[in-house]
Amino acid sequence: MIKVTGLKKHFGDLEVLKGIDQHIKPGEKVVIIGPSGSGKSTFLRCLNLLEVPTEGEILIEDESITAPKTNVNKIREKMGMVFQQFNLFPHLTVMDNITLAPIKVKKMAKAEAEKLAMELLNKVGLADKADSYPAQLSGGQQQRIAIARALAMTPDIMLFDEPTSALDPEMVGEVLEVMKDLADGGMTMVVVTHEMGFAREVASRVLFMDGGYVVEEGTPEEIFTNPQNDRTKEFLSKVL
Amino acid sequence: MPAWVIDLLERLNSTFIVDGRWQWFVSGLGYTLLISLFSVLLGLVIGVFMALMRLSNNKLLRGISGVYIDIIRGTPTMVQLLIIYFIIFGNVHIEKWIVGFIAFGINSGAYIAEIVRGGILSVNVGQTEAGRSLGMTHKQTMANIVMPQAMKNILPALGNEFVVLIKETAVIGMIANIDLVGAARKVQSLTYDYLVPLLSIAVIYYVVIKIISTVLSKIEKGMRKADKR
Repeated sequence: MIKVTGLKKHFGDLEVLKGIDQHIKPGEKVVIIGPSGSGKSTFLRCLNLLEVPTEGEILIEDESITAPKTNVNKIREKMGMVFQQFNLFPHLTVMDNITLAPIKVKKMAKAEAEKLAMELLNKVGLADKADSYPAQLSGGQQQRIAIARALAMTPDIMLFDEPTSALDPEMVGEVLEVMKDLADGGMTMVVVTHEMGFAREVASRVLFMDGGYVVEEGTPEEIFTNPQNDRTKEFLSKVL
Repeated sequence: MPAWVIDLLERLNSTFIVDGRWQWFVSGLGYTLLISLFSVLLGLVIGVFMALMRLSNNKLLRGISGVYIDIIRGTPTMVQLLIIYFIIFGNVHIEKWIVGFIAFGINSGAYIAEIVRGGILSVNVGQTEAGRSLGMTHKQTMANIVMPQAMKNILPALGNEFVVLIKETAVIGMIANIDLVGAARKVQSLTYDYLVPLLSIAVIYYVVIKIISTVLSKIEKGMRKADKR
């Protein structure tokens, strides 16, 4: 579903990704962990070209997104993204936040988009907030709306960039709950997170990144109980 | 009654009452406001386009708007008005107030472009990323997400630009005596009285601008309240 070969990314002289090869299969839940500055967010952002790779190739459902002639917008429709800072549109109601892209991009009828939005709001448990503005909601509620907004495009893949890092501790649970439901529903997910409990419970595969490389990967079992690499051991001993 | 009061009343009479001259002031104020309003609207259209060009990835577009802004800001409004009237519209018959608003609009466009550019840059880059990650094009993201937020940020500066324009339109006198200053000059040429007509239009300008800036700051306050929610 996602095939990454020789992915490198430089910001000026700074080499953030130094060569990554990954193959993510349909239905997989890949959780990326690692110290800050290890390149995990950059890797995730390369997958939908919010960062343009310096080198390497990325195939999404067998289509190259790094080829110069690719219609990037078309490919992005298949991938939902959830950001650390939610990035809801503050000037629009919750309903409009969710229906904007389906109406503008998929040319969906307004009534149909609103029906879909209500279903998604039910799913994330916020049906009563349809007419609220983002500023009226808590962080946890905003992030759940952001997930609903991404789902409204019926993506095949969901990318999560530290979705709980900007939340107050008591709100982390509600967002992880929604993500677990999504995982149980069979969604292909790539999640960058510091929530080790979530990684352990939900991941089908955990990648440990450090210094621009995927240093170690395996099932949560392998990574958390029997890490092989010294850097992985050191990192886990600090966060667990 | 002291002699100076009688004198003043006499001068007010000859400025405003005789031959219905007050109508000149009314029509002058009308033209002043009309030209200002159209100028700020034209300036807004030009400004938005120039700001978008200035922020585009295309070198040529960036260059064009850079040169435009540079030249307009580097030359006097009066000279721009004269060039547009005598050279560009030199052989065309066209109403002078239209020439005026085109000139002031082009002028104001350069300043508004910088205001709009600042407004666009003030919108968090995460907003653009969220829009693009949903599959929206650059244009759709700009129109539906970035511009509405940018506009809210620039409204106060835009109101200020309108107030500046109201005062600047007095320069229209270089090509036509149709605005407030024109009214004062027409009266002056008949009565040889400078004091009363000039002080009168100063008062009119002041009152009009006071009203407009009060209304604008009320609107601004209302908008800030909406932000707090």
